[in-house]
Amino acid sequence: MKEAQNRKPMESASRRKRRIDCIVFVCLLLIGLIFIIPFVWMAVVAFERSANIQPPFPPSLIVKEPSLFNFKIITENGNLWRAYRNSLVIAVFSVALNMLAVMLGGYALAKGRFKGKGLVLVIVMATMMIPFETRMVPMFKMFSKLGLTNNFLPLILPNMIDGFGLLLARNFFVKLPDSLGEAARIDGAGHLRVFLQVYLPLSTPIMATIAILKFMGSWNDFLWPLVILTGEETRTVPIFISAFSYEGGTRMAGSTMCVAFMGIIPVLIVFLLLQKYIIQSIALSGMKGE
Amino acid sequence: MNREPAKRLHHLRTSPIWYLFLFPTMLGILLFMAYPIIEVFRLSLFQSNGTMETFKGLANYRYILGNGTFRIALFNTFFITFFQLLVAIPLGFLIALAINSLDRGKNFLKALFFIPYVTPAIAAGTLFLFILHPNGILNTFLAWFGADPVSWLENGMSARVGAVLLSIWRSMGFNVIIFLAYLQTIAQEHYEAAYVDGCGRWQAHIHITFPQMRSAFAFLIIMGWINGMQRFTDVYALGGMTGSPARSLHTIVGFIYERGFGNYEFGVASAASCILFVIILLFTLLNMKLTRGDES
Repeated sequence: MKEAQNRKPMESASRRKRRIDCIVFVCLLLIGLIFIIPFVWMAVVAFERSANIQPPFPPSLIVKEPSLFNFKIITENGNLWRAYRNSLVIAVFSVALNMLAVMLGGYALAKGRFKGKGLVLVIVMATMMIPFETRMVPMFKMFSKLGLTNNFLPLILPNMIDGFGLLLARNFFVKLPDSLGEAARIDGAGHLRVFLQVYLPLSTPIMATIAILKFMGSWNDFLWPLVILTGEETRTVPIFISAFSYEGGTRMAGSTMCVAFMGIIPVLIVFLLLQKYIIQSIALSGMKGE
Repeated sequence: MNREPAKRLHHLRTSPIWYLFLFPTMLGILLFMAYPIIEVFRLSLFQSNGTMETFKGLANYRYILGNGTFRIALFNTFFITFFQLLVAIPLGFLIALAINSLDRGKNFLKALFFIPYVTPAIAAGTLFLFILHPNGILNTFLAWFGADPVSWLENGMSARVGAVLLSIWRSMGFNVIIFLAYLQTIAQEHYEAAYVDGCGRWQAHIHITFPQMRSAFAFLIIMGWINGMQRFTDVYALGGMTGSPARSLHTIVGFIYERGFGNYEFGVASAASCILFVIILLFTLLNMKLTRGDES
């Protein structure tokens, strides 16, 4: 009897909590829908056959005449597949070069002992204060002097330096115990072998984080490719979108929305697949890698 | 006894090979940091079109600071960022608080708000050309509440507001994720202790959540300003290189881009870059001061 009396208020409290949760969830869902509706509308217009002739206003969330007509227009008037390939090549090589520099450097700054280590760390941190936009003019002059405009190298090579990624890697290696490597050192392994065989296999989580952040950055990058890539054959996906949206705008609603749709879809698929890791990586970037 | 092997290992770890490990990074710093910074400062003192250079002293700086277009760009950059942060940070906090209070559905809601953040800025901007269209989705929505249609991208102030809306929409997910990450670092015991002491939900937030979230707010505000100072892509999608209408969407980086790569005035563009550099440096130093204040 006494037990039952005690349980009753507990139960109603948890039921109350569940009801509040329900209301909160529905409210959040409604706000969230406002964030998602633009994408739905974009897809609707992209699949609407006559959207280029009949402006899709006022907006409707139903496709009247579903067709792939707009996709045909954008793939015939511009080489979208080549833009995908260009973006992919640039992103993959950017991630690879970035990873090489950041993992080696981060390891040295965590486990190494050498003169000037503190100074290197300070310099690396200082580089994080200098945004790319302020260095853009001399970088452009430098690469154009080397005859490298309209080339992928200017988009890939600067990824060699990434202060933030380097600190993420360093903070990760600092937390791994020194004893792991020391055993191997006593057996006569060199620093490089210790790094490759002992520490690197343990660092896949941080490598995934760095790769995700870098890949997204490279894939979405716009200003620097806009400066460097002058030809049609080197266009990346964002430049491709911009060219279409500049020419067609809202007048050619069908093809403009379709090109935006095609730009967003790969990112969206990757996001939905790697959601957990991407959100973790971004959260980590906000916690300054600690 | 114990010290002996440790000492030997210490010796073993000191080796010139570490410089090899750092070689790619140092090369990158030299080529893509040190050289461009020195060069951008040097160029800012010259009139240059890429091939011909004449020394002008501080003339470029005088020109820029007296230039109406640059002042508008400066104003737009600060205006858009200020109102973006004013709305997106508190709203992001409330949404994060609400999501955090749920037992289920957290990941689903997180993803919902986060999707705009992962979309390429240029695609998001293009999408907003339609949303801000006189017959677009925003005016349709406002009409439900009896508001008259607004020609968002046809006059200066409403175009800026449109850019603010775009940046709020895109940055909200980031704010929510960061707030959630910080919220999860608050130990649950604090709340339990507070409830035992008879604190209500809101009281607990005021006494526990807000003080603990100070560093999250500081981070988002400073990062928001630093990123906002570099605004280009989304306003370029809405207003093109000159930031139409009437330069209301022209930003500092837009100014650098137009002068540098539209007109090949490298000296002027470099001087504007140096000014941007100083502005961002000030925010970064402020950031360091604030976060250091937190630790002590």
